[in-house]
Amino acid sequence: MAALISLMIAIPLIGAFIAFLTRTREQARSIALLTSGISLVISLILFSRFDSSISTIQFGESYPWIASLGVSLKFGLDGIGMPLVLLSNLVIPLTVLFAWGETKEANKFYGLILLELVGVLGVFTSLDFFVFYIFWEIVLIPMYFLISIWGGPRKDYSAIKFFIYTHVASLVMLLAIFSLYWNTYQITNTFNFDMFTLLKNYSLIESSIFKDAIFLALLFGFLVKMPAVPFHTWLPDAHVEAPTAGSVILAALLLKMGGYGLFRVILPILPYSGSPGKLISLMAIIGVLSILYGTFLALAQRDLKKMVAYSSISHMGYVTLGAAALVPLSVSGAMYQQFSHGLITAVLFMSCGVIQHSAGTRIIHDLGGIAKHMPKLAFLMLAGFLASLGLPGMSGFIAEFLILVNSYFTLPTFVILALFGIVFTAGYHLWAMQRAVFGTYNEKLGHIHDGADYEVLSMAIFILLIIFFGLNPNPVLNMMTTNAEQLLKFVVLRGVIT
Amino acid sequence: MSLYTYLLISAIIFVIGAYGIITQRSGIKILMCIELMLNSANLNLVAFSSFNGNATGQVFAIFSIAIAAAEAAIGFAILVALFRVRDTINLDNINILRW
Amino acid sequence: MFSDFAALIVLLPVIAFVLTLFLGKKLPHGGAYLPIAAIAGSFIISLGIFLQIYPEGIVQQSIPWFAGMNLGILIDPLAVVMLMMVSFVSMLIHIYAVGYMSHDPARPRYFAETSLFTAAMLSVVLSDNILQFFISWELVGLCSFLLIGFWYHKPSAAAAAKKAFLVTRVGDVLFLAGIVLLYVNMSDIITSRAFSLAPGNFILQFKSMFDAIPLIDKTQLTYITLLFFGGAVGKSGQFPLHGWLPDAMEGPTTVSALIHAATMVTAGVYLVARTFPMFVAAPDSLLVVAYVGGFTALFAATMGLVMNDIKRVLAYSTVSQLGYMMLALGTAGAVVGAKAVGISMFHLISHAFFKALLFLCAGSVIHAVGTNDIREMGGLFGKMKITATTMMIAALALAGIGIPFINIGTAGFFSKDAIIEGAFEYGEKTGDLIPYGFAVIAALLTSIYIFRLWFMAFTGTPRSERHSHESPGVMTGPLMILAVFALFFGFSQTGFYHYLETNFELMGVSIAAHEGEAVPPPIIVVLLPVIVGVLGFLISYAIYHKRMLDMSKLISSQNPLYKLLLNRYYEPKIGADLIGVKLTHNVVAQSGEFVDRKIIDGLVIDNIISNTLFQLGEVVRKLQTGVVQNYASVTLLGIGLLLVLLRIKFGGT
Repeated sequence: MAALISLMIAIPLIGAFIAFLTRTREQARSIALLTSGISLVISLILFSRFDSSISTIQFGESYPWIASLGVSLKFGLDGIGMPLVLLSNLVIPLTVLFAWGETKEANKFYGLILLELVGVLGVFTSLDFFVFYIFWEIVLIPMYFLISIWGGPRKDYSAIKFFIYTHVASLVMLLAIFSLYWNTYQITNTFNFDMFTLLKNYSLIESSIFKDAIFLALLFGFLVKMPAVPFHTWLPDAHVEAPTAGSVILAALLLKMGGYGLFRVILPILPYSGSPGKLISLMAIIGVLSILYGTFLALAQRDLKKMVAYSSISHMGYVTLGAAALVPLSVSGAMYQQFSHGLITAVLFMSCGVIQHSAGTRIIHDLGGIAKHMPKLAFLMLAGFLASLGLPGMSGFIAEFLILVNSYFTLPTFVILALFGIVFTAGYHLWAMQRAVFGTYNEKLGHIHDGADYEVLSMAIFILLIIFFGLNPNPVLNMMTTNAEQLLKFVVLRGVIT
Repeated sequence: MSLYTYLLISAIIFVIGAYGIITQRSGIKILMCIELMLNSANLNLVAFSSFNGNATGQVFAIFSIAIAAAEAAIGFAILVALFRVRDTINLDNINILRW
Repeated sequence: MFSDFAALIVLLPVIAFVLTLFLGKKLPHGGAYLPIAAIAGSFIISLGIFLQIYPEGIVQQSIPWFAGMNLGILIDPLAVVMLMMVSFVSMLIHIYAVGYMSHDPARPRYFAETSLFTAAMLSVVLSDNILQFFISWELVGLCSFLLIGFWYHKPSAAAAAKKAFLVTRVGDVLFLAGIVLLYVNMSDIITSRAFSLAPGNFILQFKSMFDAIPLIDKTQLTYITLLFFGGAVGKSGQFPLHGWLPDAMEGPTTVSALIHAATMVTAGVYLVARTFPMFVAAPDSLLVVAYVGGFTALFAATMGLVMNDIKRVLAYSTVSQLGYMMLALGTAGAVVGAKAVGISMFHLISHAFFKALLFLCAGSVIHAVGTNDIREMGGLFGKMKITATTMMIAALALAGIGIPFINIGTAGFFSKDAIIEGAFEYGEKTGDLIPYGFAVIAALLTSIYIFRLWFMAFTGTPRSERHSHESPGVMTGPLMILAVFALFFGFSQTGFYHYLETNFELMGVSIAAHEGEAVPPPIIVVLLPVIVGVLGFLISYAIYHKRMLDMSKLISSQNPLYKLLLNRYYEPKIGADLIGVKLTHNVVAQSGEFVDRKIIDGLVIDNIISNTLFQLGEVVRKLQTGVVQNYASVTLLGIGLLLVLLRIKFGGT
């Protein structure tokens, strides 16, 4: 078995450099589609060969790098990473397809999109904390440029805000990583950045205050990325200003890094932290707060895209809640929510993009009745909105159902609160549809045209994927459940929950 | 002469240079003082090299002299350019970098 | 045999949905024949299964799905009668729609969506587990949203569609909460080894649920059933979630017929019937069911009295009749046990026939006169004989007219009277006659409003100039078929009760019938429903046909009662405006926005964190004098300090 994972990361990286060097946009976009397509094929091969009945790392690769610091290039996949790798490889080619008509500095645009793919794939596959952190930071830079070059009127403000927020969070996380590294050095007297070793040695830290500090630092790093209330305000601004492709990648992939961190880093150390009970409550409170707060804020928005941004916050709240519940199926439901939200939110942001492009505005009040002239968009957008409000038969329902049902075992009060949100979630989605898409056509918009073929195709593929994973969750869900059970074995042993 | 004599001379030159940098106002003089400090370091390098029987120090001294030459060239060029714009090379008046 | 094709009952209309949606434009009549053929196929399979399993067989098929859940089919007597009714009535409505929708350019979308609607409802009916039931139930809600908003360019239609989805969604969330609670309880008793799933059974299957009833804590069971009933209240338009149903008239009339007769609203009643063993085990919930049902029956009927939109009258009538079905489950359930399911389902099915008929007749009238307002109709009898006659039959059935003791009458006579008698029996045993009172008064009002509708539309002098004509055969055909059922379905009463009585026993669940011999009710109780029915007819005849009373005094905005009724008890104002817009949007959401922008972003980020950093920078930057000598001095000072420190730390000579 060849080094498939490094190949999967290297090909888009090479593609990105080639794209930067190309002169015409035809060349750039073809390169982008081709390389991300190859990456997708590799991830499909990995997916088909993946054994979802075992929880250990598969397709592991390891190359020495900075031996004196104990850094090595370790890659591998398990049930936590595999679905997200697949998701990344689905989202990027389809985003390239969707942005097929980009004209402004196309070579850089497609190159940066490919770099994003490299970054997220690196985050989801690397098993060395040092390399993990490098990829974690790599992701920021292309997104910063995507917002600040191709963004809307307040792009500078938003790009800086996005960068500062996530970068501060990363630095706090880095401090925690160094603490873990130092701790391992003290115990074993060797330098080692291996993720599992560092996490395993967490339990050997003596001071429980120090343990909690490290835990909170890591949690902070991930929650800002997710983003969870109250660290979320960078997200709506970034989304409003980002170009559509940027928004899609931001919401579908970058937010998932935060959730990935919860499963990869937070859950293994949670039972050994100084005061697990309080920390679980903290996570649950943040989760439910995000769900409800995001929902109500979405209801208040006038800008369609901002509404979708707040809906992301609300949906990511389910991930935190499911993770905090510490029941195998709630955790795998939370993982599934990540996967599913990636697909759904892509459609939502694409819809906003098409509307903006065609009608010249995204303010709900200024739209109205656009279904008349944009029937294809209206159909796909409705499907996306329905998926987002958790309609059964679509992937979001499976995730939310699993989270709500299984979290009830350990966090009943929080589940009841979260259930309240469901009605209002449906409310803002349908209200927006009613005002923007249905009703009488607002003649002030002039003549508007439907989405381009490549846009419609890209969105339609997403919708089909959403329905497929809504009817047949097992291929992805089983591997998640296997890993969730393995994660929580230690929780039960430690007696955090009974 | 022992090594300490060389080091003492080097230290004296270094301190003279440092004193000059702090007290002088003219850009030219400051550059000259920097040269003094560099050369004191060179003297150290050569002295150590000679007493330890290791040629590395002399190689570094030659590097350092080459860099000093380049630095002096750039430094004077900057001062000339500055003089053309501001009609002065008094560094007290050249403080646009503050704040 | 037919049972091998049970899955096709749902799949055929789904396939028709996909084909019609994408190919409909190229086919004649907007591809209407595809769904018709598919639903006819579903009907034939259902009928075949009925003949195969009659009198006491069931069909069970199941495949595992995700996370210990399953997908499956359960066709027992309860399901099979529903299957036949849904597919048959839906098929007739589809045929009728070929004529009714013949001028609409968006026909392919219409037929695709109705086909999916039917499929979703059929899937609700034959689900063997509560999760699949819920999923199909939500799809029914989705289709109703799409169909009510079929003419999406009308703002009122778009608003009504949203209202329907959201109001039923409130119920759905309660239902979901009930499933969560049920799952947790089931899981607990399985973990504690008090209960184990039979091999091949899954946790949320109805059979497992029923088996576990004795082991679940009684309080929990009451909560679960109440939450389930909350779902039913939303879907079946019971008080206080009834408001969406009259608004749902914004869709095409055939859609209203589908929603009110074959699909959707009956799903709520079916849910209670399906999980009836759980309700029986939680008597408090049954009491709630009875009261909500009885109250709704009366409450909706009062509004039906004053509505002027022909479809709104029928809509309130549906709400009211669904109240009867709930009442039957609630009251009779407490007295006669499992037989209550039969009583309720019998009314459900006979109601499906005559309500579909009423709506299709209304559609025919609207098609002819081009308005919904009954004040602008009149004198149509001569022009539309078939419609008028069939509608009269339906009205008689709705009012429950028949001849007691010799058992001749319309379908409604058998079904509704049984409910009212059941309510009386309940009252006699428990001393609580309030539900009975609700039922009788509602029966009187029902009769008044439906004959008011008929007289205003078909008799008197025409009030508009429009040239009206009878509808084409493709529309009147279904009317006549339905009329036959509305007239004669009642005679299957005994057999029907008998067939459904054993329903839960077939699954190995026994529902204890309450002790005591069934005493024949007093003659007055038997006679009263018919008496009030005839009385209602006479009142309407006097007022609206003979014009013996001048109603203008009563019908004016001066009359507070009339105003209250016409404004539908201010339900739209309270529901949509107050709770929806004012409270949720203007207060909660906007204050959230305020917190987000002004507190988190403005106060914390901008003022506190950002400003502190800037002020700190302001102080520190003063150190940058711009004078090179200062920098050099500080550097030297630093080096000197460092050397001293090293000296102190490491000592040396």
